[in-house]
Amino acid sequence: MTERFAAGTRVRTSPTDPTHHTRVPRYTRGATGTIVESQGLHPLPDDRSRGLPCEPLPVYTVRFAARDLFDEGDHAVTVDIWQTHLTPVDDEGATPHER
Amino acid sequence: MNDVGGMQGFGAVEQEPDEPPFHSDWEAHVFAMNRALIGQGVYNLDEFRDAIERMAPQHYLESSYYEKWLHAVSTLLVEKGVVTAAEVSAGEHSHD
Repeated sequence: MTERFAAGTRVRTSPTDPTHHTRVPRYTRGATGTIVESQGLHPLPDDRSRGLPCEPLPVYTVRFAARDLFDEGDHAVTVDIWQTHLTPVDDEGATPHER
Repeated sequence: MNDVGGMQGFGAVEQEPDEPPFHSDWEAHVFAMNRALIGQGVYNLDEFRDAIERMAPQHYLESSYYEKWLHAVSTLLVEKGVVTAAEVSAGEHSHD
């Protein structure tokens, strides 16, 4: 899989709640943020933790407004998230298929 | 349990002015063992994190940081066939 997102792209994290391991923090699930930069390619923990084949996949630093995650705070929160768990959204926060 | 980022309801975080890296020797042993086992490829870091998250919720919430590590190391060593559950149990009871 190749890198899909440039810096500044608005993305939403998947509202995943798997029975297996994931590195998507619960407080970011379903939230909308902005791509800051690429962190290169890394095996997906969701698969690697289960002994499944795991080709290195793109990872990005994503910036969220604290207010979007916790309903308060004027600071930003940055989290490294795999591309697998990110969907691009337009400026209104809708994913393309919701338009 | 997957509580990356934490959650509310467990009281204030205890702050220690000169917090040592380890509070007991066994914690340092667990730390070293885990580094060695991952380094040798017995299991990987994601399997280690998963083993902690697979703990029964009540056990997870009652355990300290390195107690969770010890649980994960023991679990993975049994699952990978390095030791048997009976051997782990015998080791635990040798200090009774």
